[in-house]
Amino acid sequence: MESMEKKIREIAREIFINQKIDFFLGYEEGSVPLKSRPFFIQAKEKTPDGLINRLVWNSFCSNNLAVFLPKFFEHDPRKKPPRIGISVKGCDLRSIVALIKEKQVPRENIVLIGVPCLGMIDKTKVEANFQGLEIIGSEETPEGVLNITTKDGKKHHLKREEFLQEACIECRFPMTEGTDYLIEGKARDPGDGGYARIKAFEDKPPEERWEYFKREISKCIRCNACRQACPTCWCKECFAEQTDLRWIGASIDLSDTMIFHLIRIFHQAGRCVECDACYRACPMGVDLRMFTKKIVQDVDELFSYVPGFSTEDTPPMSTFREEDSDNFISEP
Amino acid sequence: MAQGVIKKEDLYRLLSTAAGKKKVYAPIDGVGGIEFAEIHEQKEITLDYSNSKLSPKSIFFPQREVLCTFADDALEEVQTPKEALIVFGIRPCDALSLTYLDKVFSDSAGRFKDPYYLKRRENAVIISLACKEPRATCFCTSVGGSPSGKEGADILVYELADKLLFESCSDRGQDFMKTASVLFKQAEEDHKTAAKEQAEKAKDGMPVLNLNGLKERVDKVFEDPLWDEITRNCLGCGACTYLCPTCHCFDITDEENRKGEGYRIRTWDSCQYPLFTLHASGHNPRVNKKQRMRQRIMHKYSYTVDNYGDIFCVGCGRCILYCPVNLDIRDMLNTLNKL
Repeated sequence: MESMEKKIREIAREIFINQKIDFFLGYEEGSVPLKSRPFFIQAKEKTPDGLINRLVWNSFCSNNLAVFLPKFFEHDPRKKPPRIGISVKGCDLRSIVALIKEKQVPRENIVLIGVPCLGMIDKTKVEANFQGLEIIGSEETPEGVLNITTKDGKKHHLKREEFLQEACIECRFPMTEGTDYLIEGKARDPGDGGYARIKAFEDKPPEERWEYFKREISKCIRCNACRQACPTCWCKECFAEQTDLRWIGASIDLSDTMIFHLIRIFHQAGRCVECDACYRACPMGVDLRMFTKKIVQDVDELFSYVPGFSTEDTPPMSTFREEDSDNFISEP
Repeated sequence: MAQGVIKKEDLYRLLSTAAGKKKVYAPIDGVGGIEFAEIHEQKEITLDYSNSKLSPKSIFFPQREVLCTFADDALEEVQTPKEALIVFGIRPCDALSLTYLDKVFSDSAGRFKDPYYLKRRENAVIISLACKEPRATCFCTSVGGSPSGKEGADILVYELADKLLFESCSDRGQDFMKTASVLFKQAEEDHKTAAKEQAEKAKDGMPVLNLNGLKERVDKVFEDPLWDEITRNCLGCGACTYLCPTCHCFDITDEENRKGEGYRIRTWDSCQYPLFTLHASGHNPRVNKKQRMRQRIMHKYSYTVDNYGDIFCVGCGRCILYCPVNLDIRDMLNTLNKL
């Protein structure tokens, strides 16, 4: 990963020098262990070397960076839309492709640097491993070992592969396609998409599924972190914020929180790239992954469509074909 | 000041004895993490936590509160809460935050006293638990607090191996300890020394954030382009404000059925939300994340200093720990203070 990091910096520098971009969007080291965070570099000088050298690439670059893009391209006649260089994993890129197709991001303003993805670390899995003992330091070795320092001063060595996010284990698109630059390297082997766990859940009795849904959603505090972290949640006015008339209540009454999540997730049909940004963003640990994946699976089965790397195909919710599945109407 | 020692395993017995008819709240390991909840037996209580995920403000300022009910033209006020509480295990930073919320909800000019919040506070005994090992994200000592701070607490408890040392810090706390005096053993010199050492150690290990002159600084740089840069990562969610122990903004809405029956509720609101400052005209004076995050910072580190004489931040670090993009308030403050 160190060589990838070096390469990302080189390309960032190159496209700054060639004046291809106004901004670069990547990751820098976070201020807490197990976390790298989004990092913007603005070209104030020709080569902002000091800033470029802060760019990192490691197993903690989980955030889906596509979420930041639509705001830059909101229509504003006073401003010229910027050109942005961005380092992308498979999931980031699929989100950007979805945004391009939805005309939220102009492809010609984006310089894409594809990074073969080895999967990202699930912070909560690592934390659970230490049962509340505070983690004060984390680093990884090229051999795939996570070195963790805990509050008691002890060092622990974990196998990276055992603490990956489910989204990464299940990911079918770890290798980017169609980017302007591609960082050399091997991505992890593609996963199977994770439909099996949805099937297993579907086989459970309705009461049990209802209980699960209720338990997860009852943790929600309506902080909107799931919505704000989601790249395809770009509506300028969310249904949850319609006040004339109000669509849903503002409180944490379970009926309101359930409706909020149901509508938000349904709205992702054919657009969700299973990056789990919503799940990671949630401060309360609401696990939305069963529901988001269910929508992905439904769209796949009904319309043979999975949002991928092509900007040419049309998302099923944006079009109508005579052969479209309609048995969900006739045989609900 | 009354002092007394009990064994950890006798904690619930003590609390319930002294509580009488009061409800006992304590930290439990809940579905969403450590939270404060009403408890009925010892084994529900956990002492193994740095702090609760949600701040205890929701005990006194619930996220959803019914203010009145209505049907057609008839309006019925909801009675102010009568129940009395004993809340055990609030960390000193959060206890301090309650004194700030008191100022807001009691309004120093005395015009707008909030009956719901104040009634609950009036009827509550706060038993604070001193921090043995503050987290790396804690910075209470930089904002006027301390891992063994007493402000806002009726009793401060130190955790010592298998015992708990209780120390009253208000009349109410002293009364509480008197009610259950038979259950307390006398605090020995050893206990007091251990508590003192522990408090010193916790305090000395805390990182120091230099906030000297911050208010004067942020007051001057309201229009500085730097705000754009430091808030660029912000996603515009409200996690920081909802987890914050001093954030107290709320909205009031009506919920009714088709017959015109319903209730008026107060719910938490956040300065990060698009509806927060939306005018009836459709104009919104704070349309972007820079303006919204600037409001959050100005409110805490400048406006409340003007209005109440305090920085409304207790350094609990929740906004740092749970921000989805790790937008660290310490970094923002450092950058602003160097401007």
